[in-house]
Amino acid sequence: MSENVDLDVMIGGPQGGGIESSGQMTLRVFMIKGYDVFGIREYHSDIMGAHSYYNIRVRSRKPRSVRLPVDALLALDAEAIFTHYNELAPGSYLIYDNDSLSTRMDRIAPMEPETKERVREDLKEKGVEPVASELVKYLSKQGVKTVGLPLKDLLKVTADRLKTSVVSVAKTVNTMTITALSAMLGIDLAAVERSIELYFAGRKSIIDSNVEAARVTYEHVKENYGVAKPLPDGPHRNKTRMVATGNDIVAMAKIVGGVTLETYYPITPSQDEAFYMESHRVFDLDEDAAKSLGTQKMPALTLQAEDELAALNMAIGAALAGARVATTTSGPGLSLMNEAISFAVMAEVPVVISVWMRTGPSTGIATRQGQGDLLHSMFAGHGEALPKIVLASGDHIEAYYDTIKALNWAERFQVPVIHLLDKYMAASMMSFDMEDVDPYKMPLDRGKFVVQPDPKAYKRYELTDDGISPRAPLGAVRYTVSSLEHNEEGVVTEDPVMRERMVMKRIRKMETIEREIPDSEKAVLHGDPDARVTVISWGTTKGPILDAMERLSAEGLKLRFLQIKTFLPFPTNMVKGIIETSDDVIAVENNAFGQMVWTIRMFTGFDIKKRIAKLNSRSLMEQEVYNGLRKALSMKEGLVVVSDGA
Amino acid sequence: MARNWMDYKTDAWIQWCPACGNFGILTAMQRAFAELDLPNEKVTVVSGIGCSSRIPYYIKTTNIHTLHGRPIPVAQGVKLANPDQVVIVASGDGDLLGIGAGHFVAIGRRNIDIKVILHDNAVYGLTKGQAAPTLPLWFKTKALGQPNIQSAVNPLLLAFASGFTFIARAYAYHIDQLKEMIKAAIMHKGTSLIDVLQPCPTYNDIMTKEWYEKRIYYLDKEDPSWDPNVEKPEDLKKLPKIVEKMLEWEPRIPLGIFYRNTMVEPFDARIEKIMPGYLAMPPARRPVSVNGRALTNPFQAFRDRLVQT
Repeated sequence: MSENVDLDVMIGGPQGGGIESSGQMTLRVFMIKGYDVFGIREYHSDIMGAHSYYNIRVRSRKPRSVRLPVDALLALDAEAIFTHYNELAPGSYLIYDNDSLSTRMDRIAPMEPETKERVREDLKEKGVEPVASELVKYLSKQGVKTVGLPLKDLLKVTADRLKTSVVSVAKTVNTMTITALSAMLGIDLAAVERSIELYFAGRKSIIDSNVEAARVTYEHVKENYGVAKPLPDGPHRNKTRMVATGNDIVAMAKIVGGVTLETYYPITPSQDEAFYMESHRVFDLDEDAAKSLGTQKMPALTLQAEDELAALNMAIGAALAGARVATTTSGPGLSLMNEAISFAVMAEVPVVISVWMRTGPSTGIATRQGQGDLLHSMFAGHGEALPKIVLASGDHIEAYYDTIKALNWAERFQVPVIHLLDKYMAASMMSFDMEDVDPYKMPLDRGKFVVQPDPKAYKRYELTDDGISPRAPLGAVRYTVSSLEHNEEGVVTEDPVMRERMVMKRIRKMETIEREIPDSEKAVLHGDPDARVTVISWGTTKGPILDAMERLSAEGLKLRFLQIKTFLPFPTNMVKGIIETSDDVIAVENNAFGQMVWTIRMFTGFDIKKRIAKLNSRSLMEQEVYNGLRKALSMKEGLVVVSDGA
Repeated sequence: MARNWMDYKTDAWIQWCPACGNFGILTAMQRAFAELDLPNEKVTVVSGIGCSSRIPYYIKTTNIHTLHGRPIPVAQGVKLANPDQVVIVASGDGDLLGIGAGHFVAIGRRNIDIKVILHDNAVYGLTKGQAAPTLPLWFKTKALGQPNIQSAVNPLLLAFASGFTFIARAYAYHIDQLKEMIKAAIMHKGTSLIDVLQPCPTYNDIMTKEWYEKRIYYLDKEDPSWDPNVEKPEDLKKLPKIVEKMLEWEPRIPLGIFYRNTMVEPFDARIEKIMPGYLAMPPARRPVSVNGRALTNPFQAFRDRLVQT
């Protein structure tokens, strides 16, 4: 029964106007109903008032992306209607506040002039006056089911029932709109109530007023629109599950993966990762660990530095002292970290740098999506800052395991590892189960870490066959660390023979990394392995590509998708082999110049002639990849720019 | 057996010019370490880039020669991860007050137990004598093509404003006095600065040995009642006098311990307060796994993200 549920819901409204809690509660409502959810938040880089929205996809099986058009739009203000009216599917629901009907678009101050101009032109063509009431009428004629809520009246009823003032229940409007949405989609009141309890956990008076608001709204909708066909339970009822953002899940992986110190300087969209770690600075051990260590709790320090220069250099100092360290940033912060990355390469310091990419160049659009830091990461650091590792994750679960893997690789190979993530993942939420994030299947590896070396024989930078020397923490034995070229003891040298030996050591280490990281961790082939049409991409385009491929293969197209995971070391042979056995190759990236395409050309000599790119800074969606691939397949070569999203 | 200052000598050839003030600082550090009997591997001297920043190779402790301007963050990383390590930053005026000035301010705000020894010769020696942030306005040393048109920063006042809790000024050729100040700084639990005035015989032909020795005097010698200690709220009354002395420069330059405040909570205590267990299990010394097995799992440790369906 529940097999076919696949819904897209959008919630739009002013930033700071309850969008976040509405989105979070909606996700929980559907999870409580037994469904998997995937939600992504689009927001302006300002503090309050500008238009922000959530796209949420609800599915019986794991959603990997969001889509347009949506099945329901919950418009918390008139701007949401003017911004998203073109994104509603026929037969979808538009839920809005009756008070917003009188709003003229010209009067919406936060709406950007370019957007207004474009909407005005479009509405003119459609013969619709730019007033919310007219637009709603028009949508209704187009087959959208419009549900106007008398929120003021509902607040009054709620206040009366709770014997309090309207002002004191004013904040329950978000619950009201979510309740209306749930009611229209056939979700029972009980699920809404449980979601409220979960979201406002422990805050009794808030829970009480929101539950009352939900009841009042539910009755109103039932009276005016009748009872919707009930949404059947999804496959995940009666389970303990989790919902988390990409920021959250990487923070979890860092703590679980043994990070003892994380540094950061606040920057969007990385900061929530560090925030989450700070709020879990003392964490609970599992039963086994508690028993063997004789303690229930363990500290993990997260420290805000004065800038990204300090963030990475502090992390380096801590790693030298023997901590397992990470730092987190975005493109501009990575720019400031460049010199220290080179230092970490030279001094052979294990450090993981999570890079949450966003729109560039320069400050770009801080809260929006971009995949512009691939080449930056590969070439980060002056003077041949190699060996290092550059790893990119495709989704939350990958990001979780990749974080642990990055920590392992950093210590095993004694190199900086740049872990590429992005705004799309940072601000998206998904549901998952314990087995999806099982840390016990990935042993924590500290490589050649020696706590008590022989002080007489110990050489920090001993020349070894694999290029990796035993690593003792500072304080265990006396040695020197240098950002300058050095000898085996770490003492500065300009001797040409020793210099060459140390370069050869770094070359051998890069070879060791290339050899020891298996191909299966460098790239992953999805879809039909024998297909002659290949999509190549990296990072968070994965979800939309997989969902689009599913549609295309249902339509009879044989497709495969090569997801590149490590750019250093680069899976040269694998990529070569796939391209050689393809008749058609299409690259998908959220950047302008095709940075992955450049990289493939650099390592394999192949030039990919067809590219799909999203450049408008919004999140890539299923239908864009679907349409983009259809178009690319019909072309000989060229760039397909996909441009959905408001 | 007590250590001897020779125990902190390395056999590296020292690259500094003859009569460089760095020699005095090096010797004073070695003697201070010996008198405090510090195990060689338990001390970390962290430097940036510049003439003085070669010191990690000349002093036999477990040292780090970092990037230009970054010794303070690297040193803090070491100290945060392993609070037992004695961590000393020894770097130049250009490194600490020019390219790295942001970190100099930030470390003061933390009152972390790190000693900053500022090699203050007012010039960039390694790049042939450019003006450093401590070179006074209008001074034209011989290497400069034009007089210095940027004013000097006062390291003591900057440290004071930033929150350093131990502030001293020394003279590189007075090894005994400097040694005592280094010992006092190491004994003080908090961010400490010793601004060491040092002639650069090669590039600073104005602020020479003669120039300094005409001006310097010791606070406690001149005024036996001199008391830099702030140990209780009423001692805050001493601050105007302390600041006044920090401001004094011409015609006389005071040396000695200007300020020692033991009322400010050190950083490790602050961390312990918000994160119990930090001192017992600091980042460098706590287990990250049990034989490779993770210590916890998300469903155990992050219950705020659970949803009971």
